[in-house]
Amino acid sequence: MEFAIETANLTKKYGSLVAVNNLDLSVKTGTIHGFLGPNGAGKTTTIKMLIGLLKPDGGSVKILGNRLGWDKPDLRSKVGYMPELPKLPKHLKGTELLDLYGRMYGMSKDEREKQVPTLLDLVGLKGRETDLIGKYSKGMQQRLGLAQALLNEPKLVILDEPSLGLDPIGMVEVRDMIKELSSEGITIFLSSHLLHEVEQVCTHVTIINKGVAMVSGTIKQIATRLKGSLAIEVEVDKLSETVIENVRKLPVVKDVNRDGKKLLIDLKTRDDARSEVSQAIAAAGGIVISISLRGESLEDIFLNLLDKDKEGRA
Amino acid sequence: MDITRFDRVGKFLAVVRYEILWNVRKKKFLGMIIVAFALATLSLAGGHIVSAITGDPVKLDPNFVIDSNVGLGGFGFFLFAIVTVMNTISGEFESGTIVSLLAKPVSRTTVFFGKLFAAFLTLLVTYCFLIVYMAIGGSVIYGPQSNLHLVPLSLIGAVFSTLVWISIVLLLGSTFKSSLIAALGALGIWFGTNIIGSILGMLAGQGWILTYIPGSGNTGYVDGLPQVGILVSTGTDSIGPNLINYILHPSWNVTYYKINIGGPTPGQGSWEQLYQEPLSTVISTSIVVSLIYFIAFVAISWYLFRRAQIAE
Repeated sequence: MEFAIETANLTKKYGSLVAVNNLDLSVKTGTIHGFLGPNGAGKTTTIKMLIGLLKPDGGSVKILGNRLGWDKPDLRSKVGYMPELPKLPKHLKGTELLDLYGRMYGMSKDEREKQVPTLLDLVGLKGRETDLIGKYSKGMQQRLGLAQALLNEPKLVILDEPSLGLDPIGMVEVRDMIKELSSEGITIFLSSHLLHEVEQVCTHVTIINKGVAMVSGTIKQIATRLKGSLAIEVEVDKLSETVIENVRKLPVVKDVNRDGKKLLIDLKTRDDARSEVSQAIAAAGGIVISISLRGESLEDIFLNLLDKDKEGRA
Repeated sequence: MDITRFDRVGKFLAVVRYEILWNVRKKKFLGMIIVAFALATLSLAGGHIVSAITGDPVKLDPNFVIDSNVGLGGFGFFLFAIVTVMNTISGEFESGTIVSLLAKPVSRTTVFFGKLFAAFLTLLVTYCFLIVYMAIGGSVIYGPQSNLHLVPLSLIGAVFSTLVWISIVLLLGSTFKSSLIAALGALGIWFGTNIIGSILGMLAGQGWILTYIPGSGNTGYVDGLPQVGILVSTGTDSIGPNLINYILHPSWNVTYYKINIGGPTPGQGSWEQLYQEPLSTVISTSIVVSLIYFIAFVAISWYLFRRAQIAE
């Protein structure tokens, strides 16, 4: 099975609002696939259609190679899902919730007795498992939400904003957990608005805006596809007009702008031209204090894409 | 039993367990249990209260337990229905817990009927405790009780009566996805059918309509005019007592009357006989009416729940 998730022309409308518009999404098996988009882009709506909580108005969904139908629960037996800020029944204790959900997954008593304490330990809730969920903090509920998503030893895990509500240590732990799950061959589909989180853990990314998938692939592939956005920022001591002219003369350079001791150099290529630029500065008598690439990060790609989308629609 | 069926039963029981834990840990349910036992205690203490006021000794009543309708009666059944299921569907939507629940490999049908079955079990156990309490208390206060073997009929009737209200609360909850609307809407229906309906029925002579709607139903009398006869309610709330009366007095006929305001003497009303029917007809009609409402409302609720889109 090449793809864990496949959608074709997936569409969801709320009255006249098209929340998801002919979305084609392919998530390769074994990858950590980030699903990025601004608020209201259609991420959660898409995920809810993948889980079967919302009925698509058009298109099709395949999960783990099987076509998804309305109220066909068996397909979810190998899928773990953690909703955005999971709301869990407050009248249950942590351990009771996992035990009951385990029963709903059809797990045997032995499996539950083995898996439930392991997961509670994994998410850092050991010692609080017999407390009512109503007494848990938001971060603890988030951790329990993650534990219930991993209960059934899933082949596909769908995480909707998994770091929301977690403290910085918790965020790092979640990222490590995601990487560990992926190393076991589990496919992770991760929706997040935290670009650095996606950048750190994801191998593939789909960027969605206004219900439309704008781009999909590895971060490198996407960056290469989006030409003309790479730039170099360099801080120079003994910055003179001669230095600027020397940099401007380089064939890879499109434009140079000065801001005090800093130069922002737009490149014609997406190749790393930092060494050429450094040499040109040094040759003209300037001293490079710091030099960095801009336009390579996911954040740059994301913002660039949204800007282009805005211009296209204007 | 094959593996798949075993699996389905296991999932169904998981939902039942999930719901029962919710029911018994709800503060309002625990409050209702306290109120129910307080009402039952009040009912048991009634003889002593009258005795203290009149100075007469407490009258022995061998039929106290079987006449008590689980010590609750119509409004008690209605309140139990509300506290048991007002959150069953709508509460899951309001709290957002429906998202995690329906993301599990359990069909919506299993979730819906698992929750309904849990409500049934919760009521059955609660009413069992109430009946045992009434039987022991009644025997101590009102002397040896007769026909205690018919008490299970009272239990069945009470559960049946409550299930009708449960189906109404479920329907409102599934439609509006709001516990408040489910509770207030059901309360409105209860007032409409029991109080306003009864008054209009009695005065307009159209009380038979009440036989076909949930609640206390029409009021008829056996062995004489209203002042001296035995009162019989025909509604879905009175299935238990009517079943017991039918077993004990299968030949009873129920007579219905209308009040004519402004009788022969100024300022007094008079009773006009309308029609008569056997108690067997009363009981079979109320059971059929209960079943029709229960099946129809549950079916609509189930349909709405299966179709519900979880957008929030």
